[in-house]
Amino acid sequence: MSSMIYKKKSPLLFFLVPAFLFLVVYLYYPFLQNIINTFLDIGGLGRAAEGVNDPWYANYRNLFQDPDLGTAIKNTVLLTIFTVVFQVGIALILALLVDSIRVGGKVFRTVYFFPIVISATALGLMFNLMFLYKGGMVNQLLLNMGVLESEVMGNGRQIVQWLDWKDENHFLFTMFLPVIWQYVGFYFVIIITGLNNIPGDLLEAAALDGASGLKKVRYITLPMLRNVLCTCLVLAITGALKVFDLPWVMFGAGMPQNQGWLTGTYMYDQTFNKMNVDYGSTIAVLIVVLGVVLSNVANRLFKPTEDY
Amino acid sequence: MKKIIALLLALTLCLGLAACAAGTAPTEPQDPGNTNPTATEPAAQSVTLSVVTSYGGDDGNRKNFEAAVAAYEASTGNKVNDGSATSNEEWKAKVLTDFEVGSEPDVLFFFINADAEPIISANKVVSIEEIREVYPDYASNMKESMLPVAADGKHYAVPSSGFWENMFVNKTVLEACGVAIPGPDYTWDQFLADCQTIKDNGYTPIACSLFEVPHYWFEFTLLNNGSLANHLELPTLDEDGNLVDDAVSQKWIAALEDIKSLYEAGFFPENTLTATDAETVSMFGEGEAAFLIDGSWKCGYFSENHADNLEDYTICCVPGKGDRPATDAIGGISMGYFISRKAWEDPAKQAAAVEFVKQLTSDEVMSTFVTTEVTALKNGAAPADLNAIQQAAADCNANVTGVVGAVQDTISAEAKGDLFGNVQKVVTGQMTAAEAVASAMKLN
Repeated sequence: MSSMIYKKKSPLLFFLVPAFLFLVVYLYYPFLQNIINTFLDIGGLGRAAEGVNDPWYANYRNLFQDPDLGTAIKNTVLLTIFTVVFQVGIALILALLVDSIRVGGKVFRTVYFFPIVISATALGLMFNLMFLYKGGMVNQLLLNMGVLESEVMGNGRQIVQWLDWKDENHFLFTMFLPVIWQYVGFYFVIIITGLNNIPGDLLEAAALDGASGLKKVRYITLPMLRNVLCTCLVLAITGALKVFDLPWVMFGAGMPQNQGWLTGTYMYDQTFNKMNVDYGSTIAVLIVVLGVVLSNVANRLFKPTEDY
Repeated sequence: MKKIIALLLALTLCLGLAACAAGTAPTEPQDPGNTNPTATEPAAQSVTLSVVTSYGGDDGNRKNFEAAVAAYEASTGNKVNDGSATSNEEWKAKVLTDFEVGSEPDVLFFFINADAEPIISANKVVSIEEIREVYPDYASNMKESMLPVAADGKHYAVPSSGFWENMFVNKTVLEACGVAIPGPDYTWDQFLADCQTIKDNGYTPIACSLFEVPHYWFEFTLLNNGSLANHLELPTLDEDGNLVDDAVSQKWIAALEDIKSLYEAGFFPENTLTATDAETVSMFGEGEAAFLIDGSWKCGYFSENHADNLEDYTICCVPGKGDRPATDAIGGISMGYFISRKAWEDPAKQAAAVEFVKQLTSDEVMSTFVTTEVTALKNGAAPADLNAIQQAAADCNANVTGVVGAVQDTISAEAKGDLFGNVQKVVTGQMTAAEAVASAMKLN
């Protein structure tokens, strides 16, 4: 009797079709329309196209000629690499550490997860204050530690050589740090859930065989976590390609000197500020293509196995 | 039991869909034949108006605007949904986008120059002529000659207070450096010498974010390389898309080169390429920088944020170069109130929107906004109790020999964004001034 509901498929269809229609109307149709828009000349959101571009593939040609987009792709790829290495890496280390302590685990879980629930705008403003040029928290700390130079002029005025954390030598660090920091907790929670699923008897057996803490991690924990880590890496890669809000709040339009673009921020600027909607649509297509390609590569490289 | 649960879920889904459909239905049925509602159909009950203005954030007139809105709500019983924000290029783009996607406000306080052309040409706002057919006394307290004329020859915006741009001076910095406060005959060479003295004393001569607001300096360096008469002339491109090498393009190139010279001399803040406007204005306010070119709206900012030491600041003419006397200034009326077509054709909102604009542009309310700016009021504004910085502005404006509008208001948003975005590249030598001008004009 209990399996009757699964044998009769029509009720399932009744619930699946609305969701499918919702996706078609609000995801696939806009995406197809977006692809069509890349061939048209559109000078503003919601504005009718003023014909087809000349040549029709002009925007796709521009993708290869636009130095700012090249910068955006380079920065985004760098961010993806840093995200994979540091975001997932730090999350893994923290999860292993928290998993190995007997008390206080729940506190650490909450503490590390907390940044996720804060809005990116608030985080951006907070980091802006931390990295403020004159009198920012980091610069004041460096000044007090004697890292920053200061001199007293003849008129008694103290001149400090403040560090510009957003200039061309430091902007990548200043941009990537908050982005990476914000989502460490997300992967931390996923990994620690994976750690909880490792059978305790395996670890006990290893301990009885004389395996040390590091050896247990190397030969039991990491192999058992492989599938979880694969999921984390794919999520990290696709997530990094879509990063927009935090860098936009902190760096705005391409600061410094058009070197600070990411694909997300550049697409937004072209579409909403420059009103170059068709080119913005083309960049959106590029982001999707990059996402599909990189996530496929990641899936192949870190293919989940059935070994464990 | 399972069938009952399935039935309940299906019922819930249907109700949910029905609720969504109901949410999209018009809340007030309209007579499709009635396309020209009249003043004889006033709103029977209180309505909620959505209003977007630039009196948001730290705008100096924010409090005056809030008071005027409160008075309107009290006198009419209507409610105002205030969507005001700080004016910048992003805000302009957002407003235009809202109009394009059909989520425009009922009343908009916006720029009356080329920025408004997209909403005017798309018939998204109502002309004053059309409004006067129903409300003959609409904008009747304004000088007709000062109503902004759109490209189609009609008037759409009821002009609010005007603006001027001039140089704010931090007197404490000048005193500390032994530099005299500039007079109306201030020259560019004197200015450069003063900047060097100020720099040598450990202060920043010019507070400006070249990342965010290079346009203030561009307007004046352009005026310095031309005149009031030709300030609004734009460079042109030849058939091949190359910049025509004539007096106008040379003037634009020279203007950018002047900014580059100031940058190379180290007269801007060290982080001018990464600082925000708020940071550099704060720097000026706190006595770290000597000069700041900004607009009349900044008087309100200083009155609000530096009320205790307003005497520390004054307003002077921007130094003149070549044939331009320092007393030639940038100014005019740049913003006004529009009523959206959507509100006008809504019988419930039409009268409310008209009344809102009438109240916000009345002589009494305008007098609370206007201190030293140009106004289109027939009777003029009657500002009272000018504070120190407003008095300084009035004194400076008394010397003005000529005024011209900002050239940036005559070019497209795309061209403007490109030109001012490339200022950073020009000053750092990544792009020549000629390339920057040509790039912008290609987008105009």
